Amino acid sequence: MECNGCEFRSELYYDDQYQIWARREEDGTLTVGMTDISQTVAGKILHVRVRRPGTLRPIGKPVATIESGKWAGPVPNVFDCVIEEANHSVLEDPNLLNIEPYEAWIARVRPSGAVEDALSVMLTGDVAQAGYCERARREDIHCERGAR
Amino acid sequence: MADSHYLDNEEKSVVIVMTSGPSTPHRCATPFYIGAILASMDSDVHIFFTMEGVMLAKKGVAENLAAMKDGKTILEFIRDAKAAGVKLHLCKPAMPGYELDVGDIIAEVDEISNAGALADLILSSDKSMYF
Repeated sequence: MECNGCEFRSELYYDDQYQIWARREEDGTLTVGMTDISQTVAGKILHVRVRRPGTLRPIGKPVATIESGKWAGPVPNVFDCVIEEANHSVLEDPNLLNIEPYEAWIARVRPSGAVEDALSVMLTGDVAQAGYCERARREDIHCERGAR
Repeated sequence: MADSHYLDNEEKSVVIVMTSGPSTPHRCATPFYIGAILASMDSDVHIFFTMEGVMLAKKGVAENLAAMKDGKTILEFIRDAKAAGVKLHLCKPAMPGYELDVGDIIAEVDEISNAGALADLILSSDKSMYF
């Protein structure tokens, strides 16, 4: 499924600005990454830095920072969590986020409360799809992927 | 794994004094870029437009100004900084010199502040930067 060429995956969970996605893992953690919209807005990503594993991140405190040639900003966080792990492949080669944003995860985090509570503040399924497409159209975002 | 890939800095406060304006567009993007990075690293960041920098807060100026040919507009850099959590102040005493009225100001500005507010920020912040 896509809008303006921006891939959307209905099984994932999203923040209300569709900057990040989250995927539930069997061990109770959540895997977090950038959406196709986000990587397109950022442009070619040059540098990713993740909060050190073990760090508590309250709501609103970013999980990571992203730098491209034309954009700098946070990987936002919408629930209390602890950083469990960073994706070393992405840290070493940030362009992976431009090439395969839904495979190139950034961090695994463990919600401080129940996983269900963390996911309850995110959007998924048809509701998320409608909002994702609405943002792509409203801001006239046409997604482009990076190349190896 | 290089240790530099991890963030473990403490929360800090930073004030960026923005005096550059439309006469030097190449100086107008980086302060907002660095402000966005600092805010993303948990810093409490304030950017204070003063001197010619106040012109960047005038409607129609930053949206038609870029630091490089065919580059992103300064208004987009300002919005990125705002989205990351940067607070924007406009120097009230500088406004008359640039014939700037309150109605001319872009919506991104959080506060029109007097010089004393800038002095307080400089004295109370952990770091100050000047562009």
